[in-house]
Amino acid sequence: MRKQLGFYVDAKRCIGCFTCAMACKNQYLQDTGVIWRQVYPLKTEIYPHRERAFYSLACNHCANPTCLNVCPARAFYKRDQDGIVVHEQDKCIGCGNCIRSCPYGAARYNPVLKKAEKCSFCWERIDAGQQPACVLSCPVDALRLIDLAGFEEPNAVQYPPGFPRFPSLNPSVRFRVATTPTIIRRSRT
Amino acid sequence: MNNMELSLVFFTVLSQAAIGLVILSSVRQLALEGPAGNVRMEWLAAAILLLVGMLASLFHLGHPLGAPRALTHLGTAWLSREALGVGLVLGLMVLGFITAREAVKPGLALAAGAVGLLALFFMGMTYAPPGYPALSNALPLVFFLLTAAVLGTAFSSYFAPAEKKPLLARILGVSLLVALVVYLVVPLVWLSGGTVMQQTGTAYLTSPLYWTRIIIGLAIPLYAIWRSGSISFWVPPVILFGELIGRVAFFSLSVHASANIGGL
Repeated sequence: MRKQLGFYVDAKRCIGCFTCAMACKNQYLQDTGVIWRQVYPLKTEIYPHRERAFYSLACNHCANPTCLNVCPARAFYKRDQDGIVVHEQDKCIGCGNCIRSCPYGAARYNPVLKKAEKCSFCWERIDAGQQPACVLSCPVDALRLIDLAGFEEPNAVQYPPGFPRFPSLNPSVRFRVATTPTIIRRSRT
Repeated sequence: MNNMELSLVFFTVLSQAAIGLVILSSVRQLALEGPAGNVRMEWLAAAILLLVGMLASLFHLGHPLGAPRALTHLGTAWLSREALGVGLVLGLMVLGFITAREAVKPGLALAAGAVGLLALFFMGMTYAPPGYPALSNALPLVFFLLTAAVLGTAFSSYFAPAEKKPLLARILGVSLLVALVVYLVVPLVWLSGGTVMQQTGTAYLTSPLYWTRIIIGLAIPLYAIWRSGSISFWVPPVILFGELIGRVAFFSLSVHASANIGGL
């Protein structure tokens, strides 16, 4: 398998602090309403506990990206060296087809530029040997950069409950699912 | 979609009406004996409808001047193919209008009908993205074919000779009946699907837009045709209004898959 960078989302560790999302916004100074990374709380039907669990999601840099396939202006390309899906904004005509097509809601409309945009995987930082801003910022190490070509985590899953299942896209993201919270009872004696 | 996308509403409905009009015109002149009617004006009307629709589609782009770039990804992008197909149909319509005398040349009529159907297929694929589970199937194509059939037949009655109007009324009646059944059944089918499909079905069934479209756009014209046996002058605009309302519902009521991230 060729090198394919992806995100490892550790829902067991994630505390829903939004630091990753804030780091992304700080890195790119995005316009109001433009969100590349979002932290989604799991609904109680999936995680029925008083404690909450979260998925921190951005573009999944899919193996077969629908945004790239549907873009009529060829504004997307997938890098050969690491599988990152890059959106070239100078080519975007703002048709919104990628926004409608991506089932993960990764592509967003920028009302100021009147163009679409999405997570770039911080490819400039990757090329400079650094980590993406979101990964670097996570205080509990719940977000990791992985290469799916050599990734062997036995408990990792691609489609946990609450994450839309689209095998034809093959999203480059893996999860460690949240587990039942530990209940500590005070001893009566 | 989650907003009305008015420019796309006008583009899709008007272009489908234009394609339906040309197909019905070709069927009338090639498959039926007798005079074809005012074919030249009919093709002009179709070309104007399509041109207005294409102009409306530009307002949907963040950068309308970049529209020619939409033709650069014919390899995989259905939107590129749709733009090409619709452009080709417009060219054939204009050619038909310019060259027509009593009727459009049979080869040209056949080509316009075939390319028109192909353009409808491209449109159906464009509006069936993975992001909308309720629509990521053949339903958009079915909806668009019904729009073309209903509006094409309805507006064709303005240009058809008197002896062919009863046949048009029968075609329109059947098309409206099929459309009524499809639009009543589809939201119920969605209710038996996954969470996002169910949300889409519920959004449809509880929306005044949906019921307005059913009653004004389908039921009333169907009743009028059944009662009179002909297509009254007021019927085509009423059907057009119903189709526009229905398309607003199509774009605004469909639920995106990402709306349910974190849920079952």
